[in-house]
Amino acid sequence: MKRILSILIIAIMGWANIAFAQNGVRASYKTDINIVSVNDVHAAIENMPKMAAIVDSLRAMDKALMVISAGDNRTGNPVNDMYSDGSYPMIALMNQIGFTCSTFGNHEFDSGQEGLARNINESNFPYLCANIFPDQELGIQCEPYKFFYVKGVKICILGVVEAEFGGIPSTHPNNAKGMKFSQAEEAIRRYLWLRNECDVFILLSHIGYDEDVEVAKKFPEFDLIIGGHSHTQIDGGEIHNGVLITQNVNKLKRLTHTVLVVENGKVTGKSATNIDVANYPKTSVAAKALVDFFSDNPEFKRVLAQAETPFSSYEELGIMMCDALKDFSGADIAYCNAGGVRFEDHPAGDFTVNDVLRLDPFGNTAVVVNVTGAQLHDMLIACKSVDDHGFPFTSGMSCEVTYTDKNRSGIKELKLFGPDGKPLNLKKTYKVIANSYAMITSDLPGDNQGEDLNITTADVLMKYLQKMQKVSYQGRKCLKENF
Amino acid sequence: MIVKVNKEEVRIFKGANAKHAILKYILKNKMDVSALDNIKVFDSKGHEIGDDSPLKEGQSITFKI
Repeated sequence: MKRILSILIIAIMGWANIAFAQNGVRASYKTDINIVSVNDVHAAIENMPKMAAIVDSLRAMDKALMVISAGDNRTGNPVNDMYSDGSYPMIALMNQIGFTCSTFGNHEFDSGQEGLARNINESNFPYLCANIFPDQELGIQCEPYKFFYVKGVKICILGVVEAEFGGIPSTHPNNAKGMKFSQAEEAIRRYLWLRNECDVFILLSHIGYDEDVEVAKKFPEFDLIIGGHSHTQIDGGEIHNGVLITQNVNKLKRLTHTVLVVENGKVTGKSATNIDVANYPKTSVAAKALVDFFSDNPEFKRVLAQAETPFSSYEELGIMMCDALKDFSGADIAYCNAGGVRFEDHPAGDFTVNDVLRLDPFGNTAVVVNVTGAQLHDMLIACKSVDDHGFPFTSGMSCEVTYTDKNRSGIKELKLFGPDGKPLNLKKTYKVIANSYAMITSDLPGDNQGEDLNITTADVLMKYLQKMQKVSYQGRKCLKENF
Repeated sequence: MIVKVNKEEVRIFKGANAKHAILKYILKNKMDVSALDNIKVFDSKGHEIGDDSPLKEGQSITFKI
Protein backbone atom coordinates (compact mmCIF):
# COMPACT_ATOMS: atom_id res chain seq x y z
CA MET A 1 0.00 0.00 0.00
CA LYS A 2 2.85 2.33 1.01
CA ARG A 3 4.59 1.52 -2.31
CA ILE A 4 1.45 2.22 -4.33
CA LEU A 5 1.05 5.52 -2.49
CA SER A 6 4.61 6.62 -3.24
CA ILE A 7 4.24 5.64 -6.93
CA LEU A 8 1.04 7.69 -7.00
CA ILE A 9 2.78 10.70 -5.43
CA ILE A 10 5.71 10.47 -7.90
CA ALA A 11 3.24 10.19 -10.80
CA ILE A 12 1.30 13.24 -9.60
CA MET A 13 4.56 15.19 -9.16
CA GLY A 14 5.63 14.21 -12.66
CA TRP A 15 2.27 15.18 -14.11
CA ALA A 16 2.39 18.47 -12.23
CA ASN A 17 5.84 19.24 -13.59
CA ILE A 18 4.76 18.52 -17.15
CA ALA A 19 1.58 20.52 -16.70
CA PHE A 20 3.51 23.46 -15.26
CA ALA A 21 6.07 23.26 -18.01
CA GLN A 22 3.36 23.24 -20.65
CA ASN A 23 1.98 26.40 -19.13
CA GLY A 24 5.32 28.13 -19.38
CA VAL A 25 6.33 27.59 -15.73
CA ARG A 26 9.83 26.27 -15.42
CA ALA A 27 10.42 22.63 -14.56
CA SER A 28 11.51 22.45 -10.95
CA TYR A 29 13.68 19.37 -10.77
CA LYS A 30 16.91 18.10 -12.21
CA THR A 31 16.92 15.91 -15.27
CA ASP A 32 19.05 15.05 -18.29
CA ILE A 33 17.89 15.74 -21.83
CA ASN A 34 19.56 13.37 -24.28
CA ILE A 35 19.82 14.42 -27.90
CA VAL A 36 21.21 12.56 -30.89
CA SER A 37 21.91 14.93 -33.76
CA VAL A 38 23.01 14.46 -37.34
CA ASN A 39 23.62 16.85 -40.20
CA ASP A 40 24.31 16.65 -43.92
CA VAL A 41 23.52 12.95 -44.14
CA HIS A 42 23.19 13.43 -47.90
CA ALA A 43 21.25 10.22 -48.28
CA ALA A 44 24.01 7.96 -46.93
CA ILE A 45 21.34 5.34 -46.33
CA GLU A 46 24.01 2.66 -45.97
CA ASN A 47 24.90 4.13 -42.55
CA MET A 48 21.31 4.51 -41.37
CA PRO A 49 21.05 0.93 -39.97
CA LYS A 50 24.06 1.66 -37.77
CA MET A 51 22.59 4.94 -36.67
CA ALA A 52 19.34 3.10 -35.89
CA ALA A 53 21.27 0.67 -33.68
CA ILE A 54 22.90 3.57 -31.82
CA VAL A 55 19.53 5.25 -31.31
CA ASP A 56 17.98 1.96 -30.13
CA SER A 57 20.73 1.55 -27.59
CA LEU A 58 20.47 5.14 -26.27
CA ARG A 59 16.69 4.91 -26.22
CA ALA A 60 16.95 1.82 -24.03
CA MET A 61 18.54 4.15 -21.46
CA ASP A 62 16.29 7.15 -22.10
CA LYS A 63 12.94 6.67 -23.77
CA ALA A 64 12.64 10.43 -24.19
CA LEU A 65 15.73 10.60 -26.42
CA MET A 66 15.41 13.35 -29.05
CA VAL A 67 16.72 12.61 -32.54
CA ILE A 68 17.34 15.70 -34.63
CA SER A 69 18.63 16.51 -38.11
CA ALA A 70 20.19 19.84 -39.08
CA GLY A 71 19.23 19.36 -42.73
CA ASP A 72 20.57 18.17 -46.08
CA ASN A 73 19.04 14.78 -45.50
CA ARG A 74 18.94 14.15 -49.25
CA THR A 75 21.14 14.58 -52.37
CA GLY A 76 24.25 12.50 -52.85
CA ASN A 77 22.99 8.98 -53.45
CA PRO A 78 21.03 7.98 -56.56
CA VAL A 79 19.32 5.15 -54.66
CA ASN A 80 17.55 7.87 -52.70
CA ASP A 81 17.54 10.82 -55.06
CA MET A 82 16.32 8.92 -58.13
CA TYR A 83 13.57 7.10 -56.29
CA SER A 84 10.26 7.53 -58.08
CA ASP A 85 9.05 9.50 -55.07
CA GLY A 86 12.35 11.36 -54.69
CA SER A 87 13.98 11.14 -51.27
CA TYR A 88 11.37 8.74 -49.86
CA PRO A 89 14.00 6.14 -48.82
CA MET A 90 15.65 8.65 -46.46
CA ILE A 91 12.31 9.76 -45.08
CA ALA A 92 11.16 6.17 -44.52
CA LEU A 93 14.37 5.48 -42.61
CA MET A 94 14.07 8.68 -40.58
CA ASN A 95 10.47 7.74 -39.76
CA GLN A 96 11.55 4.28 -38.70
CA ILE A 97 14.32 5.64 -36.46
CA GLY A 98 11.84 8.08 -34.99
CA PHE A 99 13.30 11.50 -35.69
CA THR A 100 11.94 14.30 -33.52
CA CYS A 101 12.41 17.07 -36.10
CA SER A 102 14.59 18.36 -38.91
CA THR A 103 15.32 21.72 -40.41
CA PHE A 104 15.67 22.29 -44.14
CA GLY A 105 19.12 22.14 -45.64
CA ASN A 106 19.63 23.84 -48.98
CA HIS A 107 19.49 20.41 -50.64
CA GLU A 108 15.99 19.65 -49.33
CA PHE A 109 14.91 22.06 -52.06
CA ASP A 110 16.51 19.85 -54.73
CA SER A 111 13.26 17.86 -54.61
CA GLY A 112 11.50 20.79 -56.29
CA GLN A 113 8.44 22.47 -54.82
CA GLU A 114 6.06 19.56 -55.39
CA GLY A 115 8.60 16.99 -54.26
CA LEU A 116 9.41 18.92 -51.11
CA ALA A 117 5.73 19.28 -50.19
CA ARG A 118 5.28 15.54 -50.73
CA ASN A 119 8.41 14.68 -48.73
CA ILE A 120 7.17 16.79 -45.82
CA ASN A 121 3.79 15.03 -45.89
CA GLU A 122 5.56 11.66 -45.84
CA SER A 123 7.62 12.61 -42.78
CA ASN A 124 6.38 11.67 -39.32
CA PHE A 125 8.34 14.58 -37.88
CA PRO A 126 8.07 18.34 -38.38
CA TYR A 127 10.41 20.57 -40.39
CA LEU A 128 11.38 23.72 -38.53
CA CYS A 129 12.57 26.78 -40.44
CA ALA A 130 11.98 30.40 -39.48
CA ASN A 131 13.37 32.12 -42.56
CA ILE A 132 11.34 30.52 -45.34
CA PHE A 133 8.08 31.97 -46.62
CA PRO A 134 6.55 29.66 -49.23
CA ASP A 135 3.50 30.64 -51.27
CA GLN A 136 0.50 28.97 -49.71
CA GLU A 137 -0.47 27.08 -52.88
CA LEU A 138 2.82 25.16 -52.82
CA GLY A 139 1.55 23.28 -49.76
CA ILE A 140 4.97 23.34 -48.07
CA GLN A 141 4.19 22.71 -44.42
CA CYS A 142 6.78 23.89 -41.95
CA GLU A 143 6.89 25.78 -38.71
CA PRO A 144 9.47 28.35 -37.60
CA TYR A 145 9.79 26.72 -34.18
CA LYS A 146 8.19 24.09 -32.04
CA PHE A 147 7.92 23.38 -28.34
CA PHE A 148 8.72 19.86 -27.18
CA TYR A 149 7.86 18.66 -23.69
CA VAL A 150 10.46 16.19 -22.56
CA LYS A 151 10.52 14.78 -19.02
CA GLY A 152 8.76 17.89 -17.78
CA VAL A 153 11.17 20.22 -19.53
CA LYS A 154 9.87 22.68 -22.09
CA ILE A 155 12.25 22.73 -25.04
CA CYS A 156 11.98 25.18 -27.91
CA ILE A 157 13.70 24.42 -31.19
CA LEU A 158 14.02 27.21 -33.76
CA GLY A 159 15.16 26.31 -37.29
CA VAL A 160 17.06 28.33 -39.92
CA VAL A 161 18.54 27.61 -43.34
CA GLU A 162 21.23 29.45 -45.28
CA ALA A 163 20.03 31.81 -48.01
CA GLU A 164 23.38 32.89 -49.41
CA PHE A 165 22.87 31.93 -53.06
CA GLY A 166 21.46 35.23 -54.29
CA GLY A 167 18.97 35.32 -51.44
CA ILE A 168 17.91 31.68 -51.72
CA PRO A 169 19.47 28.46 -50.39
CA SER A 170 22.11 26.85 -52.65
CA THR A 171 19.90 24.89 -55.00
CA HIS A 172 18.87 25.40 -58.59
CA PRO A 173 16.88 28.68 -58.65
CA ASN A 174 13.89 26.93 -60.25
CA ASN A 175 13.54 24.85 -57.08
CA ALA A 176 13.04 27.95 -54.95
CA LYS A 177 10.43 29.65 -57.12
CA GLY A 178 7.38 30.66 -55.10
CA MET A 179 9.39 30.84 -51.88
CA LYS A 180 10.88 33.84 -50.17
CA PHE A 181 13.73 33.68 -47.70
CA SER A 182 15.06 36.10 -45.15
CA GLN A 183 18.55 36.06 -43.71
CA ALA A 184 18.95 33.63 -40.83
CA GLU A 185 20.11 36.30 -38.38
CA GLU A 186 17.03 38.42 -39.03
CA ALA A 187 14.82 35.41 -38.32
CA ILE A 188 16.72 34.62 -35.14
CA ARG A 189 16.25 38.20 -33.87
CA ARG A 190 12.54 37.96 -34.63
CA TYR A 191 12.13 34.89 -32.45
CA LEU A 192 14.40 35.73 -29.51
CA TRP A 193 11.30 36.19 -27.33
CA LEU A 194 11.01 32.40 -27.30
CA ARG A 195 13.89 32.35 -24.78
CA ASN A 196 11.44 33.44 -22.08
CA GLU A 197 8.92 30.79 -23.01
CA CYS A 198 11.03 27.69 -22.49
CA ASP A 199 13.55 25.96 -20.27
CA VAL A 200 15.88 24.97 -23.11
CA PHE A 201 16.36 27.05 -26.27
CA ILE A 202 17.96 25.26 -29.23
CA LEU A 203 18.87 26.65 -32.65
CA LEU A 204 18.67 24.02 -35.38
CA SER A 205 20.87 25.60 -37.98
CA HIS A 206 21.83 24.89 -41.55
CA ILE A 207 23.95 27.99 -42.04
CA GLY A 208 27.51 26.70 -41.47
CA TYR A 209 30.02 26.58 -38.63
CA ASP A 210 31.45 30.11 -38.95
CA GLU A 211 27.94 31.55 -38.95
CA ASP A 212 26.96 29.40 -35.95
CA VAL A 213 29.90 30.86 -34.01
CA GLU A 214 28.77 34.37 -34.97
CA VAL A 215 25.23 33.58 -33.83
CA ALA A 216 26.57 32.27 -30.51
CA LYS A 217 28.57 35.49 -30.01
CA LYS A 218 25.54 37.66 -30.74
CA PHE A 219 22.83 35.56 -29.15
CA PRO A 220 23.87 33.88 -25.90
CA GLU A 221 20.16 33.20 -25.39
CA PHE A 222 20.66 29.79 -27.02
CA ASP A 223 21.68 26.83 -24.90
CA LEU A 224 22.67 24.76 -27.91
CA ILE A 225 23.21 25.22 -31.64
CA ILE A 226 22.89 22.01 -33.63
CA GLY A 227 24.64 22.98 -36.83
CA GLY A 228 25.02 21.81 -40.39
CA HIS A 229 25.91 22.90 -43.94
CA SER A 230 29.70 23.35 -43.68
CA HIS A 231 30.29 19.63 -42.92
CA THR A 232 32.55 20.72 -40.05
CA GLN A 233 33.74 17.97 -37.74
CA ILE A 234 33.58 19.41 -34.24
CA ASP A 235 35.26 17.32 -31.59
CA GLY A 236 32.24 16.69 -29.38
CA GLY A 237 30.98 20.22 -28.92
CA GLU A 238 32.49 23.66 -28.67
CA ILE A 239 31.35 26.33 -26.25
CA HIS A 240 31.26 29.84 -27.71
CA ASN A 241 29.99 32.63 -25.46
CA GLY A 242 28.34 30.00 -23.30
CA VAL A 243 26.53 28.39 -26.25
CA LEU A 244 27.30 24.76 -27.08
CA ILE A 245 27.78 24.20 -30.84
CA THR A 246 27.80 20.78 -32.49
CA GLN A 247 28.25 19.56 -36.05
CA ASN A 248 29.74 16.58 -37.90
CA VAL A 249 31.20 15.85 -41.31
CA ASN A 250 28.77 14.73 -43.96
CA LYS A 251 27.46 11.31 -45.00
CA LEU A 252 26.65 10.19 -41.46
CA LYS A 253 30.19 9.14 -40.67
CA ARG A 254 29.59 10.42 -37.14
CA LEU A 255 26.75 11.73 -35.02
CA THR A 256 26.67 13.76 -31.82
CA HIS A 257 25.19 12.69 -28.51
CA THR A 258 24.47 15.78 -26.44
CA VAL A 259 23.42 15.77 -22.80
CA LEU A 260 21.80 18.87 -21.35
CA VAL A 261 21.40 18.90 -17.56
CA VAL A 262 18.30 20.91 -16.68
CA GLU A 263 17.73 22.05 -13.12
CA ASN A 264 14.96 24.34 -11.94
CA GLY A 265 14.15 25.38 -15.47
CA LYS A 266 17.71 26.18 -16.46
CA VAL A 267 20.46 24.34 -18.28
CA THR A 268 23.16 23.84 -15.66
CA GLY A 269 25.38 21.48 -17.57
CA LYS A 270 25.99 20.55 -21.19
CA SER A 271 28.31 18.14 -22.92
CA ALA A 272 28.57 16.50 -26.32
CA THR A 273 30.41 13.48 -27.66
CA ASN A 274 30.81 12.09 -31.17
CA ILE A 275 29.81 8.54 -31.98
CA ASP A 276 31.53 6.89 -34.93
CA VAL A 277 28.58 5.67 -37.00
CA ALA A 278 30.52 4.30 -39.97
CA ASN A 279 32.47 1.92 -37.74
CA TYR A 280 29.75 1.13 -35.20
CA PRO A 281 29.72 -2.64 -34.71
CA LYS A 282 25.95 -3.11 -34.53
CA THR A 283 23.25 -2.77 -37.17
CA SER A 284 19.48 -2.52 -36.85
CA VAL A 285 17.98 -5.46 -38.71
CA ALA A 286 14.76 -3.58 -39.44
CA ALA A 287 16.57 -0.56 -40.88
CA LYS A 288 18.89 -2.82 -42.89
CA ALA A 289 15.84 -4.55 -44.40
CA LEU A 290 14.52 -1.16 -45.51
CA VAL A 291 17.87 -0.19 -47.03
CA ASP A 292 18.01 -3.52 -48.91
CA PHE A 293 14.49 -2.97 -50.15
CA PHE A 294 15.24 0.52 -51.44
CA SER A 295 18.57 -0.53 -52.96
CA ASP A 296 16.78 -3.03 -55.18
CA ASN A 297 15.10 -0.11 -56.81
CA PRO A 298 12.98 -0.69 -59.92
CA GLU A 299 13.29 3.05 -60.53
CA PHE A 300 16.73 2.43 -62.02
CA LYS A 301 15.10 0.41 -64.76
CA ARG A 302 12.70 3.23 -65.63
CA VAL A 303 12.83 4.07 -69.32
CA LEU A 304 13.56 7.74 -69.94
CA ALA A 305 13.61 7.70 -73.74
CA GLN A 306 13.87 5.45 -76.74
CA ALA A 307 17.14 5.41 -78.64
CA GLU A 308 15.87 5.13 -82.20
CA THR A 309 19.35 4.18 -83.42
CA PRO A 310 22.24 2.58 -81.54
CA PHE A 311 25.08 4.63 -80.07
CA SER A 312 28.42 3.39 -81.28
CA SER A 313 31.00 5.93 -80.02
CA TYR A 314 31.93 8.05 -77.03
CA GLU A 315 31.43 11.03 -79.32
CA GLU A 316 27.76 10.28 -80.03
CA LEU A 317 27.01 9.85 -76.34
CA GLY A 318 29.11 12.91 -75.46
CA ILE A 319 27.19 15.06 -77.94
CA MET A 320 23.91 13.92 -76.37
CA MET A 321 25.21 14.87 -72.90
CA CYS A 322 26.24 18.28 -74.24
CA ASP A 323 22.90 18.76 -76.03
CA ALA A 324 21.20 18.12 -72.69
CA LEU A 325 23.33 20.76 -70.94
CA LYS A 326 22.72 23.28 -73.69
CA ASP A 327 18.98 22.61 -73.76
CA PHE A 328 18.69 22.87 -69.96
CA SER A 329 20.53 26.17 -69.63
CA GLY A 330 19.78 27.97 -72.86
CA ALA A 331 23.55 28.34 -73.35
CA ASP A 332 25.06 28.92 -76.79
CA ILE A 333 27.65 26.18 -76.40
CA ALA A 334 28.13 23.14 -74.17
CA TYR A 335 31.12 20.87 -73.72
CA CYS A 336 32.18 17.95 -71.58
CA ASN A 337 35.56 16.32 -71.02
CA ALA A 338 36.04 13.09 -72.97
CA GLY A 339 36.77 11.16 -69.76
CA GLY A 340 33.37 12.19 -68.43
CA VAL A 341 31.63 9.87 -70.92
CA ARG A 342 31.90 6.43 -69.36
CA PHE A 343 30.76 4.01 -72.05
CA GLU A 344 30.91 4.07 -75.81
CA ASP A 345 28.05 2.00 -77.15
CA HIS A 346 24.41 1.44 -76.39
CA PRO A 347 21.86 -0.50 -78.41
CA ALA A 348 18.78 1.01 -79.93
CA GLY A 349 15.80 0.80 -77.60
CA ASP A 350 15.35 1.71 -73.95
CA PHE A 351 17.58 4.37 -72.39
CA THR A 352 17.05 4.00 -68.64
CA VAL A 353 17.89 5.86 -65.41
CA ASN A 354 20.58 3.27 -64.78
CA ASP A 355 22.10 3.94 -68.21
CA VAL A 356 22.40 7.64 -67.35
CA LEU A 357 23.99 6.89 -63.99
CA ARG A 358 26.51 4.57 -65.66
CA LEU A 359 27.23 7.10 -68.37
CA ASP A 360 27.72 10.01 -65.95
CA PRO A 361 28.49 8.54 -62.50
CA PHE A 362 30.65 11.27 -60.98
CA GLY A 363 28.08 13.60 -59.48
CA ASN A 364 29.47 16.52 -61.49
CA THR A 365 27.34 19.62 -61.50
CA ALA A 366 26.53 22.02 -64.35
CA VAL A 367 28.52 25.27 -64.45
CA VAL A 368 27.86 28.25 -66.74
CA VAL A 369 30.22 31.03 -67.72
CA ASN A 370 30.28 33.85 -70.27
CA VAL A 371 33.50 33.80 -72.30
CA THR A 372 34.75 34.97 -75.67
CA GLY A 373 35.39 32.54 -78.52
CA ALA A 374 39.12 33.06 -77.99
CA GLN A 375 38.85 32.18 -74.29
CA LEU A 376 36.79 29.10 -75.14
CA HIS A 377 39.52 28.05 -77.60
CA ASP A 378 42.10 28.12 -74.79
CA MET A 379 39.74 26.45 -72.31
CA LEU A 380 39.19 23.47 -74.61
CA ILE A 381 42.95 23.04 -75.09
CA ALA A 382 43.52 23.24 -71.33
CA CYS A 383 40.71 20.73 -70.70
CA LYS A 384 42.26 18.27 -73.18
CA SER A 385 45.74 18.72 -71.70
CA VAL A 386 44.72 16.91 -68.48
CA ASP A 387 42.46 14.31 -70.07
CA ASP A 388 44.09 11.25 -71.63
CA HIS A 389 40.73 10.12 -73.01
CA GLY A 390 40.72 12.72 -75.76
CA PHE A 391 39.42 16.08 -76.84
CA PRO A 392 36.21 17.43 -75.23
CA PHE A 393 32.85 16.82 -76.91
CA THR A 394 30.66 19.80 -77.77
CA SER A 395 27.19 20.98 -78.69
CA GLY A 396 26.44 24.28 -80.44
CA MET A 397 29.83 24.21 -82.14
CA SER A 398 32.35 21.79 -83.62
CA CYS A 399 36.13 21.55 -83.50
CA GLU A 400 38.96 20.60 -85.81
CA VAL A 401 42.04 19.68 -83.85
CA THR A 402 45.48 18.92 -85.22
CA TYR A 403 47.72 16.98 -82.85
CA THR A 404 51.49 17.01 -82.69
CA ASP A 405 51.53 13.20 -82.77
CA LYS A 406 49.35 10.11 -83.02
CA ASN A 407 49.18 9.77 -79.23
CA ARG A 408 47.32 13.10 -79.05
CA SER A 409 49.91 14.29 -76.53
CA GLY A 410 50.08 17.85 -77.87
CA ILE A 411 47.86 20.18 -79.92
CA LYS A 412 49.38 21.96 -82.93
CA GLU A 413 46.22 23.77 -84.00
CA LEU A 414 42.59 24.06 -82.95
CA LYS A 415 39.85 25.55 -85.13
CA LEU A 416 36.36 26.22 -83.78
CA PHE A 417 33.23 26.32 -85.94
CA GLY A 418 29.73 27.55 -85.20
CA PRO A 419 26.58 25.52 -85.85
CA ASP A 420 26.48 26.95 -89.38
CA GLY A 421 29.89 25.45 -90.13
CA LYS A 422 31.57 28.87 -90.33
CA PRO A 423 34.54 29.76 -88.07
CA LEU A 424 33.43 30.76 -84.60
CA ASN A 425 33.72 34.48 -83.90
CA LEU A 426 36.60 34.55 -81.43
CA LYS A 427 35.75 38.08 -80.29
CA LYS A 428 32.11 37.39 -79.54
CA THR A 429 30.98 36.49 -75.99
CA TYR A 430 29.16 33.19 -75.61
CA LYS A 431 27.24 31.65 -72.76
CA VAL A 432 29.01 28.34 -72.24
CA ILE A 433 28.02 25.42 -70.02
CA ALA A 434 30.15 22.46 -68.99
CA ASN A 435 30.30 19.91 -66.20
CA SER A 436 32.18 21.10 -63.10
CA TYR A 437 35.21 18.87 -63.73
CA ALA A 438 35.62 20.09 -67.30
CA MET A 439 35.19 23.70 -66.20
CA ILE A 440 37.91 23.39 -63.54
CA THR A 441 40.36 21.63 -65.82
CA SER A 442 39.75 24.30 -68.48
CA ASP A 443 41.76 26.66 -66.29
CA LEU A 444 39.85 29.82 -67.14
CA PRO A 445 42.03 32.77 -66.09
CA GLY A 446 40.81 35.86 -64.25
CA ASP A 447 37.96 36.52 -61.85
CA ASN A 448 35.17 35.40 -64.19
CA GLN A 449 34.94 31.74 -63.26
CA GLY A 450 31.22 31.19 -63.80
CA GLU A 451 28.54 29.84 -61.53
CA ASP A 452 27.40 26.41 -60.43
CA LEU A 453 23.76 25.76 -61.34
CA ASN A 454 23.38 23.36 -58.39
CA ILE A 455 22.16 20.46 -60.48
CA THR A 456 24.08 17.36 -61.43
CA THR A 457 24.78 16.75 -65.10
CA ALA A 458 23.17 13.31 -64.72
CA ASP A 459 19.95 15.02 -63.59
CA VAL A 460 20.16 17.34 -66.57
CA LEU A 461 20.52 14.39 -68.96
CA MET A 462 17.56 12.60 -67.38
CA LYS A 463 15.40 15.68 -67.79
CA TYR A 464 16.51 15.99 -71.42
CA LEU A 465 15.75 12.36 -72.26
CA GLN A 466 12.35 12.55 -70.61
CA LYS A 467 11.58 15.68 -72.59
CA MET A 468 12.81 14.27 -75.92
CA GLN A 469 11.16 10.82 -75.55
CA LYS A 470 13.06 9.70 -78.69
CA VAL A 471 16.74 10.32 -79.51
CA SER A 472 18.99 9.44 -82.40
CA TYR A 473 22.69 10.32 -82.52
CA GLN A 474 23.96 7.77 -85.00
CA GLY A 475 26.73 9.31 -87.10
CA ARG A 476 26.71 12.63 -85.23
CA LYS A 477 30.12 14.30 -85.09
CA CYS A 478 31.43 17.34 -83.28
CA LEU A 479 35.12 16.72 -83.73
CA LYS A 480 37.55 16.30 -86.62
CA GLU A 481 40.99 15.07 -85.62
CA ASN A 482 44.15 15.41 -87.71
CA PHE A 483 47.50 13.84 -86.89
CA MET B 1 35.14 33.63 -56.34
CA ILE B 2 38.52 33.45 -54.66
CA VAL B 3 39.31 30.95 -51.92
CA LYS B 4 42.58 29.89 -50.37
CA VAL B 5 43.84 26.32 -50.57
CA ASN B 6 46.93 25.57 -48.49
CA LYS B 7 47.43 29.35 -48.22
CA GLU B 8 47.42 29.78 -52.03
CA GLU B 9 44.72 31.80 -53.80
CA VAL B 10 42.53 29.80 -56.13
CA ARG B 11 39.93 31.31 -58.47
CA ILE B 12 36.92 29.07 -58.86
CA PHE B 13 33.29 29.30 -59.96
CA LYS B 14 30.63 30.46 -57.52
CA GLY B 15 29.05 27.54 -55.70
CA ALA B 16 32.18 25.39 -55.82
CA ASN B 17 32.90 22.91 -53.05
CA ALA B 18 36.16 22.01 -51.31
CA LYS B 19 37.01 19.24 -53.77
CA HIS B 20 36.56 21.59 -56.75
CA ALA B 21 38.97 24.12 -55.24
CA ILE B 22 41.49 21.43 -54.35
CA LEU B 23 41.34 20.02 -57.89
CA LYS B 24 42.12 23.49 -59.22
CA TYR B 25 45.00 23.78 -56.73
CA ILE B 26 46.32 20.35 -57.74
CA LEU B 27 46.23 21.24 -61.44
CA LYS B 28 47.82 24.63 -60.77
CA ASN B 29 50.67 22.97 -58.92
CA LYS B 30 50.98 20.14 -61.45
CA MET B 31 50.29 17.49 -58.81
CA ASP B 32 48.80 14.06 -59.54
CA VAL B 33 45.00 14.37 -59.84
CA SER B 34 44.54 10.91 -58.30
CA ALA B 35 45.64 12.51 -55.00
CA LEU B 36 42.05 13.75 -54.78
CA ASP B 37 40.90 10.25 -53.84
CA ASN B 38 42.77 10.29 -50.53
CA ILE B 39 42.58 13.74 -49.02
CA LYS B 40 41.64 15.08 -45.64
CA VAL B 41 40.32 18.62 -45.71
CA PHE B 42 40.37 21.15 -42.86
CA ASP B 43 38.89 24.61 -42.33
CA SER B 44 40.92 27.61 -41.19
CA LYS B 45 40.43 26.64 -37.56
CA GLY B 46 41.71 23.13 -38.05
CA HIS B 47 38.35 21.33 -38.06
CA GLU B 48 38.07 18.45 -40.46
CA ILE B 49 35.45 19.19 -43.12
CA GLY B 50 33.90 16.99 -45.79
CA ASP B 51 35.53 17.17 -49.21
CA ASP B 52 32.24 18.28 -50.72
CA SER B 53 31.73 21.07 -48.19
CA PRO B 54 30.34 24.20 -49.80
CA LEU B 55 32.78 27.10 -50.00
CA LYS B 56 32.20 30.80 -49.84
CA GLU B 57 34.18 33.78 -51.08
CA GLY B 58 37.40 34.28 -49.14
CA GLN B 59 37.26 30.95 -47.29
CA SER B 60 40.55 29.25 -46.43
CA ILE B 61 40.96 25.50 -46.42
CA THR B 62 43.91 23.17 -46.20
CA PHE B 63 44.24 19.58 -47.28
CA LYS B 64 46.54 16.69 -46.57
CA ILE B 65 47.11 13.60 -48.68
